[in-house]
Amino acid sequence: MDIIIFLVLLSVGYVFGRLAESRHFNSIREREARYQKILCFSERLPPPGPPADTVLVSGSAVIAVDYFKMIAASLRNLIGGRVHAFETLVERARREAILRMKEDAIRRGASLIVNVKLETASITKGRKQQAHCVEVYAYGTAMVPAEKV
Amino acid sequence: MSYQNPQIPDGVNYSQDHPLKDFFLMLLVVAGSTAALVALLFMLSGYLVSFIPFSTEVALADSLVFAEDNTEGGDVNQAHLPEQKYLQQLAAQLAVAQQLPDDMSITVHYVDDDTVNAFATLGGHIYMHRGLLEKLPHENALAMVMAHEIAHIKHRDPIIAAGRGFTIILALGSILGMGNSDFSQQIVSHTTSLTSLAFSRDQEQQADAEAADTLMQHYGHLSGSAALFEILQQESPVELPEFLSSHPVTNERLQRLNELSRLQSGAVTPLPTALFGVSSQ
Repeated sequence: MDIIIFLVLLSVGYVFGRLAESRHFNSIREREARYQKILCFSERLPPPGPPADTVLVSGSAVIAVDYFKMIAASLRNLIGGRVHAFETLVERARREAILRMKEDAIRRGASLIVNVKLETASITKGRKQQAHCVEVYAYGTAMVPAEKV
Repeated sequence: MSYQNPQIPDGVNYSQDHPLKDFFLMLLVVAGSTAALVALLFMLSGYLVSFIPFSTEVALADSLVFAEDNTEGGDVNQAHLPEQKYLQQLAAQLAVAQQLPDDMSITVHYVDDDTVNAFATLGGHIYMHRGLLEKLPHENALAMVMAHEIAHIKHRDPIIAAGRGFTIILALGSILGMGNSDFSQQIVSHTTSLTSLAFSRDQEQQADAEAADTLMQHYGHLSGSAALFEILQQESPVELPEFLSSHPVTNERLQRLNELSRLQSGAVTPLPTALFGVSSQ
């Protein structure tokens, strides 16, 4: 009986997980094309340009792991090697966080972000510390062109 | 310094392999190696455990549980002395027919409750419940059950099963340890139990075969020996699939027995009346 429940959860996790993942990736690609013109730099100092005000902009994304990914990752923990299941997860979270940061910059009227940094955290559940969700936080300094007085 | 703003190439940070293919490959590796390891450990421990002398097994059994079933004069069993005596007598006869080694002794315990079950445990103790005994129509059927359990003891099945269980828990515990993830432990434990059920079915089949031989030896024919399986089929018409169960499918056991009994037949011996509250048919 346990085996049946396990298999049902596995298939539900797989189907819905794959669906959510492909929809999310499509949305990410579309928005990346749209926000192409917002420039992001990891350098601390901005390139020379017109005078600008600085403001902190940030974006964060939390993506949850589905049941299928958890099983695949735990098997991978036994054998070793690249955890394919989590690679797409972290990729989605990272790109989504950067896009949200760009959206924040657009709202403030900036088109240049410098000193972009990323921080990743895993939100774990329970004593066994299994990763439940992954959170990526992207932040940087946006250069808002100063108003000509 | 001049900058460029290229389109970042997609799919660099993750693999294009289909996740299901990846998953099934890993499952195959893990389940396959678990099954192989468990089978190896089972075979080895089964072989080694049978070297434990029977006297040690009896001592172990006595020290474990069976305090209230003291056949020498516990109050519980006084009420069922005739049943106890009859069963013990039958067991003694069947043990001779089965050529049980001299150092092994059988102690039969009659349990007065409705459970439809009989089983053999460590130290040569056989427990038969009233629920099963009431359903058996004649002595041949009872003898089949009894001979099956005696065969388990002759083959040292109880201590082999205990030894195997202990070995596996020890081995998997040391390999998996506290486990960094609970899910792979589930997969490993499911594989382990499926493998151990296969070994258990093998033991049951051998006990069935030995029991049939014993009945042939004792009665000279196999009539009535299939009664148990017919009763089991009536009791639970829908069964678990074979790979999930510790006994072979009842139909198969029936068929094997029928093949053996096609050769001879004879008159069945009735049970002594007024025992087990049953009317002999």
